[in-house]
Amino acid sequence: MTQSKLAATLGISASYLNLIELNKRSIGGALLKRVASVLGMSLDELDGAAGRRLLDDLHALAADPRLAGLGLDATGVHDLAGRHPAWARALLVLQRSLVDRDGAVAALSDRLGQDPHLNEIIHDVRSRIAAIRSSSEILESVDDLEPRQRQRFVAIIGDESARLSDLAQALGEFFEPARTPMRSLTPAEEVDDFLFDHDNHFPALEDAADALRGTLPLDGDLDAGAVTQPRATQRFLAARAAVLRFGDGRVLQAEVDAAPRLTSDAARKLAHRALSSYLAAALLMPYAAFLAAAERTRYDIEALCQQFGVSYEQTCHRLVTLRRPGAEGIPFGFMRTDPAGFVTKRFPLPNLLLPRRGNACPLWAAYTAFQAPGAIQRQLAAFPTGDRYLFVACAIEKPRPAFPMPRRLVSVMLACHALHADRTVYGDALDLSSSAPWVPVGPNCQLCVRGDCAYREEAAIIDR
Amino acid sequence: MGTRVLIAEDEPHIVESLSFVLDRDGFDVTAELDGESAFARLRVDPPDVMILDLMLPRLNGFEVLKRIKSDPALRAIPVVVLTAKGQAHDRRLAEDLGVDAFMTKPFSNQELVECVRRLARK
Repeated sequence: MTQSKLAATLGISASYLNLIELNKRSIGGALLKRVASVLGMSLDELDGAAGRRLLDDLHALAADPRLAGLGLDATGVHDLAGRHPAWARALLVLQRSLVDRDGAVAALSDRLGQDPHLNEIIHDVRSRIAAIRSSSEILESVDDLEPRQRQRFVAIIGDESARLSDLAQALGEFFEPARTPMRSLTPAEEVDDFLFDHDNHFPALEDAADALRGTLPLDGDLDAGAVTQPRATQRFLAARAAVLRFGDGRVLQAEVDAAPRLTSDAARKLAHRALSSYLAAALLMPYAAFLAAAERTRYDIEALCQQFGVSYEQTCHRLVTLRRPGAEGIPFGFMRTDPAGFVTKRFPLPNLLLPRRGNACPLWAAYTAFQAPGAIQRQLAAFPTGDRYLFVACAIEKPRPAFPMPRRLVSVMLACHALHADRTVYGDALDLSSSAPWVPVGPNCQLCVRGDCAYREEAAIIDR
Repeated sequence: MGTRVLIAEDEPHIVESLSFVLDRDGFDVTAELDGESAFARLRVDPPDVMILDLMLPRLNGFEVLKRIKSDPALRAIPVVVLTAKGQAHDRRLAEDLGVDAFMTKPFSNQELVECVRRLARK
């Protein structure tokens, strides 16, 4: 039915009907019932709720960073939903399936690296091959082997070969449901990977900080408008502004330009910002003095905050950068999350998976810290792979924009391998032996193999 | 008496072939199949070189390594880790704990013997 015929049947003008179709006029009551009757549709389909959901979903789609730069504006969203609702829905179906696929691929890829079953198979394969290789080298290179010895090493090879065949079978079965992993990266993920490639340590920026220190009026050059901010934040912002103003932009830009990882302008801009914070932190917390203080205080974060006049979060950040070859601190991972579980900063350890998007395991101290804001939580966490970590987390309060808004909390968590726990004050008075009771955690529900966990919110991607 | 080597390894076939090869080269070899027994033996009878697997029952190899290298009376004993856990972070952790050499399985007998000989001279 054409628009003009429908308008005539309903007894309204074609232009008014056009405005209704474009969601620029609302419709209800008797007119809505007549439209439903003429078109043979239910009221539910026509009452606007479905249309509003469609609009909301299209707005969310337009905000996808992968579509940035295509000029998708609100007018276009309304036009598409109004004129071509079926095409709009088709677009959303495709987008949802893409998001699901991305999530599944990322999770599978992570799972391959973390799966205790796969790790065990690989470990066994290496051990079997080691035994075969060692025995065959003896048979090959030792001329004067006694017959009894020769028989023995041949038997070992036979025995280990049979076990290797079983493992090959198990390996084949493991990979049957898996697919080739791919990863689509957002600018923030590119920056994460860039920092990780550098082990979160930038010697040129440490040198720049040493050269700049003392020439900058860090304490006397504060923005008067920032008086409501804590002193540590003011100092940090002043340091960052000074770093940018005093021309060492060149050092920062050189690091960014030399990074093939950073493929988009958005990623390069984010990296530049991250490195300016790095340089500001290096100014306020000189490497050698900070490392010495960290070792002396046994990585007591609050003691370091006081000594260097910096915030809890800045101190944690700086601890993660102590990776100078030959003068390294404890290797720490870092994660910052909001109460909704959105991870806003992360620096993983080689074998400790921190979520790129979405949540980690709800048992992690990063989340339990929200139960007592301001209090440091320490946790001995045991993963299904057998790896054990010390987690130290604190929910800290950020300035809120205005009184009626809720308190703004973020949780900042440091993680180190259990074997380093006794070097920190947070390992004191804890039983760190492997036989002690540890909190059984996982990476997240999708990747976790603990089937009987009372905290599980979602099925594992691979159910074993 | 030859250079004394303590093997901590839970794979009996690897222990057997390693013992044969080292014994032929004149080393005096003993072996333990778990971490706790290996550490106990090392304390009462310190070897010249220790060959240490990482995935050991009862006390894992990282913990054995940490105990050795944090004990002033033991830390001079050279330790070569011989492991099927060959990932970069395993090596890094072992290095952080003070390991003297790191070899991954599968290994060459000859390379291992040379490594043990080199560590014994240290």
